Amino acid sequence: MSAYKDKDPRINGIKTTIRVVPDFPKPGIMFQDITPLFLEPKAFKDSVDIFIERYQGKNISVVAGIEARGFIFGPSIALAIGAKFVPLRKPKKLPGEVISEEYILEYGRDCLEMHVGAVEPGERALVVDDLIATGGTLCAAMNLLERVGAEVVECACVIELPDLKGRERLNGKPLYVLVEAH
Amino acid sequence: MMQAISLLNFSKPSPLFVAPFQRRHCPSIAGAAAPISHLHRNRCQSYRISVPPLSCSGTVQQQEMASDDGQDSRISRISSAIRAIPDFPKPGILFQDITTLLLDTKAFRDTIDLFVERYKDKNISVVAGIEARGFIFGPPIALAIGAKFVPMRKPHKLPGEVISEEYALEYGTDVMEMHVGAVESGERALVVDDLIATGGTLCAAIRLLERVGVQVVECACVIELPELQINLL
Repeated sequence: MSAYKDKDPRINGIKTTIRVVPDFPKPGIMFQDITPLFLEPKAFKDSVDIFIERYQGKNISVVAGIEARGFIFGPSIALAIGAKFVPLRKPKKLPGEVISEEYILEYGRDCLEMHVGAVEPGERALVVDDLIATGGTLCAAMNLLERVGAEVVECACVIELPDLKGRERLNGKPLYVLVEAH
Repeated sequence: MMQAISLLNFSKPSPLFVAPFQRRHCPSIAGAAAPISHLHRNRCQSYRISVPPLSCSGTVQQQEMASDDGQDSRISRISSAIRAIPDFPKPGILFQDITTLLLDTKAFRDTIDLFVERYKDKNISVVAGIEARGFIFGPPIALAIGAKFVPMRKPHKLPGEVISEEYALEYGTDVMEMHVGAVESGERALVVDDLIATGGTLCAAIRLLERVGVQVVECACVIELPELQINLL
């Protein structure tokens, strides 16, 4: 599902802020840079509002944001819908007791961590990040939440790279995005 | 003169004042406190960080709250939502963990509201948030006051053209980066982070903004560490 396909009139203002930076972080990659969206207060607010409108009243008590750009969107959504914000972080950033989930990168592995006790069994959760590529990071995030008994209602991203088929990797979990980039 | 405001001292009825630098017992950084502050003073001579007298060690100090008005009760709840984790990231450091604040929906809401109330009519067009915990507090403030949000990041995270500022750590240095063109000369900015310790990171953020002609109106943090009270006059 995507707001782009829904032809929400706010989407064009959001889409035009995203800039492509070639050869970042390495040659051959066309990086979808979302930071110019944050420089346009109306477009930034619209992007957050679209998510809020979708998720308010859905009994979602947890918004999990993936470090670091998921931290830019997640808290505003959480605050508006009355949910907790739970940061999902790279290793050794969260103090105290954590659970870890390893996931595959293009070369090698990485790890995502969540605080023990942040989320309770039965809670309904949203996972937020700026972009879904292969879906590896979102998968790790969902696994962390499900391991503690939460129900992941949906994953929400601003940008999807559909050519990388991340949506299929989400084990049937719904994905909602604002724009697609090819 | 630029001030740093920390929420946990927000409600004190006495005005903020400048305290002389105190090297209180803090075993993890005592050895390096002098060079850090020295470098700090050299680079930030024109700034003063105002430090309130309240000692904040992450525990609730409700008995020190002077009055029962609405603002004090918000601060008290925010303070008690923050937890202290000993020996993180290394032995001797008592880490002030704001993630528990983010689990308390009212306290998190109140935190943002307190900042928004303070900054909404100050013609601030830029909120700069320091990676990564500044990304949690900065954007909600920016959205509420109609300002841009500008992420200040570790090296090699921002794509495209950046400017960089080196700053001192306890051992060694680190670098902070900002996108070229994110802010314009003459804009008024707020710098946001979860916590101020030595002030080195905040100073680097201020320098980055000032290098491109921005006026830093204030630095805003949720927590201030009492052992590191600094007068940068």
